[in-house]
Amino acid sequence: MKSLLDYQVSDQLPVREWIPSDLQVRQYAEASGDFNPIHLDDDYARQAGLEGTIVHGMLTMAQMAAMVTDWMGEEGIISKFNVRFEQIVRPGDIITCSGNIKVRSENTLVCNLEAFNNQQKRVMSGLAHVSLRR
Amino acid sequence: MINKELIGRESEAIAFKIRLEDVRRFAEAIGVRFDDRVPATFVGTLVQANIPGVQLPTPGMIHGEQRITYYRPLNVGDSLTYKKSIKDVYEGRGKFGKNTFLVLETTGYDLAGELVFSSSSVLIQPSKEEGE
Repeated sequence: MKSLLDYQVSDQLPVREWIPSDLQVRQYAEASGDFNPIHLDDDYARQAGLEGTIVHGMLTMAQMAAMVTDWMGEEGIISKFNVRFEQIVRPGDIITCSGNIKVRSENTLVCNLEAFNNQQKRVMSGLAHVSLRR
Repeated sequence: MINKELIGRESEAIAFKIRLEDVRRFAEAIGVRFDDRVPATFVGTLVQANIPGVQLPTPGMIHGEQRITYYRPLNVGDSLTYKKSIKDVYEGRGKFGKNTFLVLETTGYDLAGELVFSSSSVLIQPSKEEGE
């Protein structure tokens, strides 16, 4: 089985595909305490000029973290995780999270991260530092 | 009103414990298998701290960026304190015209007062004024 130590610069991480639903957004609001009505109330979101409810940025970020966590398994820990939200994500969008190795040192892998929607628009970009457990 | 006078304002420190049931519920909500590890974005659930005189996010605010740094891993059962502070407020121009950016930082400490994590949100308040 491939170890984190076998990954080289520009190697791809296994992708994660994710389709957020209204139900998941509601569950995330309850689990996170973020009840901003732009995520939960379609009329409110429309009045705010958003054409309907939008998914929490932190829920999209959590999917990217899940991709990194599935890849690194028990071998690594995320020590730094930075993202920029670039486009709105809506329930029903098909989001594909991907990443590759940007830089590696003896005990840290720096990963480039990107998420695209099914209109091929980038919705999020960022990077993660994965430190090898000792 | 979001302006530079808010820089440096902070909340009181809030004590919290990373409880198994909260982490399990969070993992279920984001759709991952719960395996005793604390998901990297779990610190986004620390929303109880209030900065006096500031209600964030304000209506219309957009979440622009999030940056999380761990100085050591979080574990279920950890007892910590956290506080929120406004690190910066600045003006910038974007595709929607002039925007106000606010950097809200959440910092977590262990019982010895050592920094365990910091999590910064860049929140964007679009201006009503049209772009050039």
